[in-house]
Amino acid sequence: MIDAFTLPEWAALAPPLLLALTALVLFAYDSINPRSTNRPVLAGVAVVGALASLVTAVWFTLAGTGADGPDAGYDLWFVVGDSVTGTGAIDLFGGQLVVDQMALFFMIVVAVVTALVAVASYDYMAGHAYQAEYYSLLLLAATGMSTMAAANSLVTIFIALELASLPSYALVAILKDNRGSVEAGLKYFLIGALSSAIFVYGISLVYGATGHLQLEAIAEMIATGEADAYSGLLGLGIVMLIGGFAFKTASVPFHFWAPEAYEGAPAPIAAFLSSASKAAGFVILFRVFTTAFPLETTTAVIGLDWTIAFIILAIVTMTVGNFAAATQQNVKRMLAYSSVGHAGYALIGLAALTVDGGELVLGAAMMHLLVYGFMNTGAFLFVGLAEYWGVGRTFDAYNGLAARAPVACAALAVFMFSLAGIPPFGGFWSKYFLFTGALEAASANSALLLVAAALVVNSALSLYYYSRLVKAVWINDADPSLDRDFGGTPTGLYAAILFAAVMTVVLLPAFGPVADLAIDAASAVLVS
Amino acid sequence: METAFELAPAIVLLPLAAFVVALLFGNYMPKKGALAGIVATAGSLLLSLYVMAAVATGGQHQETYFTWAAGDAVSETGVPTIEFTFGTLLDPLSALMLVIVSLIAFLVHVFSLGYMNDEGETGLPRYYAELGLFTFSMLAFVIADNLLMAFMFFELVGLCSYLLIGFWFRTESAPSAAKKAFLVTRFGDYFFLLGVVAIGATFGTLAFQGDGSFVAAAGEAIDNGETLFGFGAETWVTITGLLVLGGVIGKSAQFPLHTWLPDAMEGPTTVSALIHAATMVAAGVYLVARMFGYYALSPTALGIIAFVGGFTALFAATMGVVKDDIKQVLAYSTISQYGYMMLGLGVGGYVAGVFHLMNHAFFKALLFLGAGAVIVLMHHEQDMWKMGGLKDKAPIVYYTFLAGALALAGIVPFSGFWSKDEILFDAIIVGLNEPIFLAAYAMGLLAVFFTGFYTFRMVFLTFHGEPRSDAARDPHPVSWNIKFPLLTLGVLALVAGIANLAPVYKLTGLEITYLEFWLDGQYGGYADLTYSAYGDTVPFGTDYIGSETITLLIAAGLGLGLAVGGAVFAMVLYNVPEPEPHTENLGSARTVLRSNYYQDEYQVWLAENLTLPLARAADRFDQTVIDGVVNGVSSVSLFGSGRMKRLQTGVVTNYAALLIVGFIVLLVVLGVLGGWFV
Amino acid sequence: MTVGIEYYVLLSLALFCIGLFGVLTRRNALMFLMSVELMLNAANINLIAFAFYHGNLTGQVFALFTMALAAAEVAVGLGIILVLYRNFRDVDVTVPSEMRW
Repeated sequence: MIDAFTLPEWAALAPPLLLALTALVLFAYDSINPRSTNRPVLAGVAVVGALASLVTAVWFTLAGTGADGPDAGYDLWFVVGDSVTGTGAIDLFGGQLVVDQMALFFMIVVAVVTALVAVASYDYMAGHAYQAEYYSLLLLAATGMSTMAAANSLVTIFIALELASLPSYALVAILKDNRGSVEAGLKYFLIGALSSAIFVYGISLVYGATGHLQLEAIAEMIATGEADAYSGLLGLGIVMLIGGFAFKTASVPFHFWAPEAYEGAPAPIAAFLSSASKAAGFVILFRVFTTAFPLETTTAVIGLDWTIAFIILAIVTMTVGNFAAATQQNVKRMLAYSSVGHAGYALIGLAALTVDGGELVLGAAMMHLLVYGFMNTGAFLFVGLAEYWGVGRTFDAYNGLAARAPVACAALAVFMFSLAGIPPFGGFWSKYFLFTGALEAASANSALLLVAAALVVNSALSLYYYSRLVKAVWINDADPSLDRDFGGTPTGLYAAILFAAVMTVVLLPAFGPVADLAIDAASAVLVS
Repeated sequence: METAFELAPAIVLLPLAAFVVALLFGNYMPKKGALAGIVATAGSLLLSLYVMAAVATGGQHQETYFTWAAGDAVSETGVPTIEFTFGTLLDPLSALMLVIVSLIAFLVHVFSLGYMNDEGETGLPRYYAELGLFTFSMLAFVIADNLLMAFMFFELVGLCSYLLIGFWFRTESAPSAAKKAFLVTRFGDYFFLLGVVAIGATFGTLAFQGDGSFVAAAGEAIDNGETLFGFGAETWVTITGLLVLGGVIGKSAQFPLHTWLPDAMEGPTTVSALIHAATMVAAGVYLVARMFGYYALSPTALGIIAFVGGFTALFAATMGVVKDDIKQVLAYSTISQYGYMMLGLGVGGYVAGVFHLMNHAFFKALLFLGAGAVIVLMHHEQDMWKMGGLKDKAPIVYYTFLAGALALAGIVPFSGFWSKDEILFDAIIVGLNEPIFLAAYAMGLLAVFFTGFYTFRMVFLTFHGEPRSDAARDPHPVSWNIKFPLLTLGVLALVAGIANLAPVYKLTGLEITYLEFWLDGQYGGYADLTYSAYGDTVPFGTDYIGSETITLLIAAGLGLGLAVGGAVFAMVLYNVPEPEPHTENLGSARTVLRSNYYQDEYQVWLAENLTLPLARAADRFDQTVIDGVVNGVSSVSLFGSGRMKRLQTGVVTNYAALLIVGFIVLLVVLGVLGGWFV
Repeated sequence: MTVGIEYYVLLSLALFCIGLFGVLTRRNALMFLMSVELMLNAANINLIAFAFYHGNLTGQVFALFTMALAAAEVAVGLGIILVLYRNFRDVDVTVPSEMRW
């Protein structure tokens, strides 16, 4: 075994840095050769960059970067710090950024989704003029999301969030001559601008109450009681912060942009936003509320257990999302609402936190976001495939697609059943852990029983509309009057869909290690 | 020796491989998958013989291959964990059964070349695949080292017989017979499953052998006078034993779940041979023998086994008397003969029961294959009244069939005589001690007469006299692949009795009761699974009329006399050139017998007048109340959904307003709860 | 004489509410954007006032970041408003409402 080569600590930021570098390379390419539509090169660079980010994030996770304790990781060829005893969470730039297991976990989610989206975009965006901008914006947004995973101060959180948001607005509206795309971009932008204004105002109030923006420093001020005089200010600030995060995670009532943005955006972008962007929103949500506002001390200051806010949000979000999805006729819009519903499920991760526990349920929420990254991306990419073929948007238009594309439709069935949480697939386990986590926490707070009940009811309802889509493609017959002329088989889209499907299935047997990793990561942030 | 045991899984897996090969490639193979099956079963047979030799030289083997679930459930007796495993148990009993099953399966495969291939049947890859799967299931059942594994393969055996009985699925009767077989045996298996669960929950183990077996645990519980689930230990053992017996009664076609078996004749005759001799039906009795130590703990369970057996033996034999279809006669004889085995096991005659299981496997396979040969000869005619005179035209078929018939009737020196005699002897000596068993003995004894009668009625009608149809005058020739299995089995039917000449031993003192030594573990085997270990447990005493020898002579004389009497009576009535349908003289008794004692009718009546109304009521409840609630919920949900999505008006300013309203509501709720406004 | 911190907060709250009012009532996309800018500036007032109050510079620096990001936001926003005008011949934010329910 070669002696491990120890990298400097800032190298732990390699996953977002590689994404940023790729974005800049694409940007430079665009500056030199503005009219280029050399898709293989552009998409290739984007995919390579995303994969490099993915590989480093996985590598660091295996090497125990950010983890703590003996046997933190394997002694790989190059590591950050000591891989055997672990580095503990790596604080960078005075604690403005932190690389720990949770950060790496979400960097993996973001990188995977980015890679899938970049691969799928190769076919989907064929024929569009502004290729380089597209990929460079995609990578910039991914950089923002990846940085969000590591952000450890309200400053970096805000900057990373905007870095993720601004390219996303442009990406949604990138089909400049498509009224749907423009409408979606406008709505996304306006709600986003409003939300970020509320968010910044929340930051300013929290700053006013504590005098700090770095998360640990805020926690310390709260713990030492120096924020006691500003309990109202702090409470209002926290609620406004929740508003900002709710926008990013598409949670009610800040979800209004989501159905339109996902419906109008190019399908790969919808996949990107609903999976990676949502996951990134959740990672800062988790980090802020576990690090800056520890449950016990914060409750003492603001006179209220903040989990109550998430209990309300979780129930309302999953109910609104699933109920609105149930009778949709447009497949993409159905998926958009289902994405809102899933945000509600992931919110249980915070709703079921208790003073002395909750790593299981927080870990379950993280797992759910990982699985969701595959199954939801895959589902949106299937819609992208249908759009590529010009199939149409409604359930009826999808009738009998399985006759034409059995493999992709099998993958779609996997996505749908996994999203609904049917046993043989990854989506079942994460939902199951969320459910048991909520039940466990219910002994401390009986409102969690309501959350668990809402989870069950909404899952049952979601099975209805997910299986409707499976029924459409597999069982219903295509309208014979339609003379559908499919193009060829888009390799990139197929590859991305199949990979996502395989991962959705494989995650079940692999769930042991993934669950351990997520729960480790969750307990690490809860303890710190 | 170790090699033999290491190779044991191959015995089971070879037919499984044949199943896969025949299913996937059967259509492209020269004999449509038959060769794969023949090679696989021949391999299984050789390996089984190897295992048998290993056991004979003092070996025994138990190995767990795969644990597929383990749990922490505390059992009633306080065992803290339970494991569900797949493993093998190779001891004298399973080694013997392996040889029997693989031999019969091999011969059936060979015979099928003549019966199925040469007769131009279609769907042969499916046929051979199912035969392979069937053999695989039975072999796996035989080597099972625990009750759950046994149950699983028991079920698979049932599934395979369903598939094979319904092989000619385009006819009207075969699928119906297959369904009947499946449902009736499933009904019994339901109790078996309950029994498995009960035994697992009680003793925390399902193993057949060793200190950690449920048999040992049950014995201990009885000795300690424990109370299990509110019952005395012995009562509870009786209850669980009887639950398992439900599966046995279904599979081994004992009264009252025997009704499926005659209908199962709709399958190919080769399949009938396999089902009756070595697999499906044998599985039930084998299971009783396998967990005999458990039944031995409960006199009540043994008594019930004995009475069910004795009654079934007589009951089925009477019905066999009036059948005209050659396969029907054999079907009822099977039910009757398995009744004997149950009777033997029920009176504690473990060796006698297994001995008869073995002999019956040989002669019943012989008779069915012989009947198959007759059917080939007769251009697929099965009515005995249209046969006659085949004796001279197909001597090999005749003489082998005759050997089987003599064995079935129990006429010395053919194999059936020795084992049936031993069963009746075991029954009478127990009966002399506990008179109630004399009733079971009497039924078994009376059945001997009927057996002799219907067997030879069948032989004479089929082979003797003048041909009564064109087909019988000009039979279809049969080839080596039909004659070879018949000859093999014919020899076995004649000589298999040598394995355990108990009467000769008792009269002369010659130590030639090899099977008893074999099952007593004198060559090799586990001490807790031997005849003498069972003998210590069996709670029945024995008595003799005068001395043992006198009792033996009386029992043998009675049995042989009745068998010969039945045969002679049949000869008088039917061994004439133009036999008359004498059974018509029985009048209304004949009607009852022809209708099988209205067993089907009352079961159908039960189904139609009891189960069906209940099912209808449940269905109505489901359709109205349950579905009503469900539909109500779903329409409310969908209506709610329609309202919910109206929130999304499409106008972005509305969104901003709703967003702010939502935010303020959240703020107010939290503020009020947190007391920020005071 | 120093002005009490509560006055700054009141000022910023007022500004925030004015911005919010604009967001809710203005249909012109540009006015909407300007209203959002008002809200962001309300936050800036807070940040700078609190930085002064707490005696550290974090808030002031963050205010600079906010302004830069606000500018970037406006740039992206104007781009989107431009394509909005091209497609809908209007900058009324209530006009594009094809996607709903």
